[in-house]
Amino acid sequence: MARVVVLGLASDFGCQVQMTNMEDHLLDVLGAIELEYWQLAASGHMPEDYDVAIVEGAVTTEEHVELLKRVRETASTVIAIGSCAVTGGIPALALSGDLEDRVGCVYGESGALVACGRILPMPVGAIIDVDYHVVGCPIDPAEFVEVLHRAIQGLRDAVPLEPMCATCKIAENTCFYDRGEVCLGLVTRAGCGTKCISLGRPCTGCRGIAADANFESAKAIVERMGADLDLLLERAQLYNNARKDLS
Amino acid sequence: MSTLTVEHVARIEGHGTITVDVDGGEVRDIRMDVIEPVRLFESMVVGRRFDEAPLITSRICGICSPNHAVTSLKAVEAALGIEVSERTQLLRKLLLYASYLQNHATHLYVFAAPDYVGGGIGSVFPLATSAPDVVQRALRIKKLGNELTTALAGRSVHPITPVVGGFSSEPAVSVLEAFVPRLAEAARDAGKTAALVATFVIPTFEPAGEMLAMVDSDDYAIYEGSVCALDAGWCRDVSEYRSFITETVVGHSNAKHSTVDGRPFMVGALPRVNQSWDRLAPTARVVASKLGFRPVSRNTFHNNLCQAIELIDAAERCASYIEQFAAVGGSSTPEAFAIKSGSGSGATEAPRGTLYHSLSIDDDGIVTAGDVITPTAQNLANLEADMRAFAPTVAALPEPEFVLRIEQLVRAYDPCLSCSVH
Repeated sequence: MARVVVLGLASDFGCQVQMTNMEDHLLDVLGAIELEYWQLAASGHMPEDYDVAIVEGAVTTEEHVELLKRVRETASTVIAIGSCAVTGGIPALALSGDLEDRVGCVYGESGALVACGRILPMPVGAIIDVDYHVVGCPIDPAEFVEVLHRAIQGLRDAVPLEPMCATCKIAENTCFYDRGEVCLGLVTRAGCGTKCISLGRPCTGCRGIAADANFESAKAIVERMGADLDLLLERAQLYNNARKDLS
Repeated sequence: MSTLTVEHVARIEGHGTITVDVDGGEVRDIRMDVIEPVRLFESMVVGRRFDEAPLITSRICGICSPNHAVTSLKAVEAALGIEVSERTQLLRKLLLYASYLQNHATHLYVFAAPDYVGGGIGSVFPLATSAPDVVQRALRIKKLGNELTTALAGRSVHPITPVVGGFSSEPAVSVLEAFVPRLAEAARDAGKTAALVATFVIPTFEPAGEMLAMVDSDDYAIYEGSVCALDAGWCRDVSEYRSFITETVVGHSNAKHSTVDGRPFMVGALPRVNQSWDRLAPTARVVASKLGFRPVSRNTFHNNLCQAIELIDAAERCASYIEQFAAVGGSSTPEAFAIKSGSGSGATEAPRGTLYHSLSIDDDGIVTAGDVITPTAQNLANLEADMRAFAPTVAALPEPEFVLRIEQLVRAYDPCLSCSVH
């Protein structure tokens, strides 16, 4: 059985909470793996050796970098879960502007006292190779179980390549652009069941930019529909601020 | 002098290390080093549009995200002068209580119980075979909380539907009414939970900290009310929170420490039950009394039992809110509002205690300043004061037992360190 460790970097623990939120499957999943370390759920120490590392959170400290390098040397399989780990997510918003100004904004002049070894936030993939990705903010528990099974069985990673507009049409949602409102579904990875859009909220891009997204075409559509192009780019930063190609 | 450290304390949300300096068998100092990485949320909302603040600040905490989202919405609405409908308020209260069900059940069964059941078992997982009915009960309450959250907000973590002025979508009355029988079952499960928690052997411990909680004359205060101090006897408007809570940066923690009137203080289930005992659902009061709990209690370890009492209350209250929702009429769809400059603050009682958000907005709706004080950040100074008072009383125990007792005290606060740093 695969020996699994779960690690949290800079995050809100929401994706680890989602792992506990698969109540109906939790005990089955635990029966299919050997859970060696999970700080959130169990006492114990990080073992020397393991097969699979599940990593949540963005990289924000030197300690994270060192930890990830050790993880990559040890684990045969690394799974990044959630936007923070996959794209840098919300923590990467701190990339804009000067980091020390931000520390000053929160901690005042005493900022130097805290947060030793801090570095600019980045996704896990910026430090080490990642074998499997579970995207979203937060992850969907069912999607997590599916990717974990893929990892254990040695199947390939299967992050959807296409943006979500096609699935949105199948869900019979009214397009936000028909109302002149910006929606990131144009360029964001499909696979969430267009959850937000179906509930009356435009997509904010938490699953990251789809590999097949055509940004130039998306911009043309936004302009043609009379929506706010600046807002599209600004919204795209929310979860993709670690990408250099969007600014 | 020797130093004992417990790194990355397990079964709490976030990363913290306990450091104890021991000299000749005596505890010289004990600290909670909050090593949770800084994410600088208060700086992140600056420059973003006002309606993104709830989305961004919800990501402070994946375990109580509905509470952050709703509190941030209240701050935005206060800044823009928006009043929400009674229907919206009911849906928000339901959402906050659904979060209580999920949070308290997770803390009591997954985080706290392994310290007390079966002589200390490290995690809840062994109970799946040794006490399956207990695990099934835990999962039932947690799942109900998650499914009610999902029905209201689209998913159990990071709510989708709550927006400035109301909800982008609301569940059909029939969908909510289908929860009522399950809530009745949850109230019974919560009663059994309280009975279980009452069997946890806890020390007699009477620390000296102040206790703060929101108090509302009409209701058990979680959505609105003023903030009241138990010892000092004052009640203050939420919007004045910066004037009665003093935050200081301390060297060993990435989270700031807080005091009121120069004293550390506690927030959470125990201060709430102490101050709003008369407004608890009658069943919750009856069960608590039968189990020997009487307000006012100063024993921090009673926070666990008070969470269980609140679980009973939450289950009953949700059923009553669903009944009110079916009758209330009106709309939760936001009404049109004008974007203008202003500042506002909001507070709610999150599962771990009073949560404050505030922000300032300019004429274009861009956030110019933001501030958040989370329950755990407020509790940290008090937690350390408790540790200093408690550690000498258990210092003679063998090291593993000593560490377990200290960890029990830490977990009694149900700390959320990623919240505390944000």
